[in-house]
Amino acid sequence: MTDPAPDAFRRDLVTLVPRLRRFALSLAGNRQDADDLVQAACEKALKNAAQFVPGTRMDSWMYRIVQTLWLDDRRRRAVRGTAVEPETAGLSDEGRAASLPEDRLMLARVRAAMAELPEAQRAVLALVAIEGLSYREAAETLEVPVGTVMSRLSRAREALLPKLGLSHGARQ
Amino acid sequence: MTRHTTMDKTRLAAFVDGELSPEEAAAVVIHLADHPEDQAWVDDLAAANAALARAYSAPMHEPVPPAIRDTILPPASPGTGAAGAAPVLPFRRRVLASARAGWSAAAVAALAAAAAGVALLAPVAPVPGPGAGATATLAVGAVAEGTPLAAALSGLRSGEARTLDGGQTLTVLATMPVAGGHCREVEIDDAAAGVLGRALACTRGAGWTVTVAISEVAATPDAEGVFAPAGGGAAADLGPWLDRMGAGLALGAADEAAAIARGWR
Repeated sequence: MTDPAPDAFRRDLVTLVPRLRRFALSLAGNRQDADDLVQAACEKALKNAAQFVPGTRMDSWMYRIVQTLWLDDRRRRAVRGTAVEPETAGLSDEGRAASLPEDRLMLARVRAAMAELPEAQRAVLALVAIEGLSYREAAETLEVPVGTVMSRLSRAREALLPKLGLSHGARQ
Repeated sequence: MTRHTTMDKTRLAAFVDGELSPEEAAAVVIHLADHPEDQAWVDDLAAANAALARAYSAPMHEPVPPAIRDTILPPASPGTGAAGAAPVLPFRRRVLASARAGWSAAAVAALAAAAAGVALLAPVAPVPGPGAGATATLAVGAVAEGTPLAAALSGLRSGEARTLDGGQTLTVLATMPVAGGHCREVEIDDAAAGVLGRALACTRGAGWTVTVAISEVAATPDAEGVFAPAGGGAAADLGPWLDRMGAGLALGAADEAAAIARGWR
């Protein structure tokens, strides 16, 4: 029986894992759910490896799998809110290094604000602002038109910026 | 609602997101120079992007978790946690050959079989050092959190070694399940002092306790006039203590990695 996931595919997948964990963390809001999500996405990817067209963007393919699994899970669990960890969690040094109180406050606000965004807006914002995809790459990943990406981004930022203590009138 | 801008926010956002052509971007730059309220919004958006990137950056600086890595690249070597992979030697636990160069598994086997031949010497007085427990004889008792010893016990896989503060080499030999937690057998090699120690450290998921520690003069195979253990091999066998704790079979690589990954809880 041929292995549907050849070695090169597997090695490429491993190199994507840090980014997938970061994307999953921005969607799920806590480390445990994020890693469970990435675990499930990798299992699904290995099972469906034959459907991946070699030479195409594996990162887009994997981001899509993560996002789809996350939405499925949200609907299944009918989760009202996202479990957000305390502000020190998620920082690589668990917040112990000398980071200014205002920095820690900003990061806590960011995480809380992301958790309040509707899923579609959160996913687009994560792909563009955190994962660094272009509008077109994000559109292909989510299988929506570019215009949809732009309008979701715009709504996400309208909701997010005021919660970060930004855009509250004159700043000079 | 965010602040009012003169230029369309979609265009300003595209500028911040790097979506504009060089000519379009240049036009925005010229516009921003004359419109400080638009510049302020652009600054806010850039700050938000940066905060988002920082808020979720931790996974980018971490190794791939063992469970995920093992799912994608299953370890190929036989006997790693597979049921029925019995060790060749009839030991209750899979003990690595001593970390000391030149001492073979056969010497370890001979030593364990002839336990009466082992000369147990009095523990060497602990050498004071910066890190708690960093001596050839590990201090029996709780291991302070945050010390190199605690980190080594929590993070090393069997067979891996780390140098402690006093220059001793600590090697983890095996991990055994016990009632309520795990015990790890370690070897401490203080080559400078010529002392070899072996210890058991146990945890219930919240910190480590050294339950037994034995050290002895380390024999070199060709040393003369040095009091050497009968087997000429590795340090003391901790079998009686493991028996007392009801220790089970040593964990295979996959199970051990899983225990490390969940912090021994």
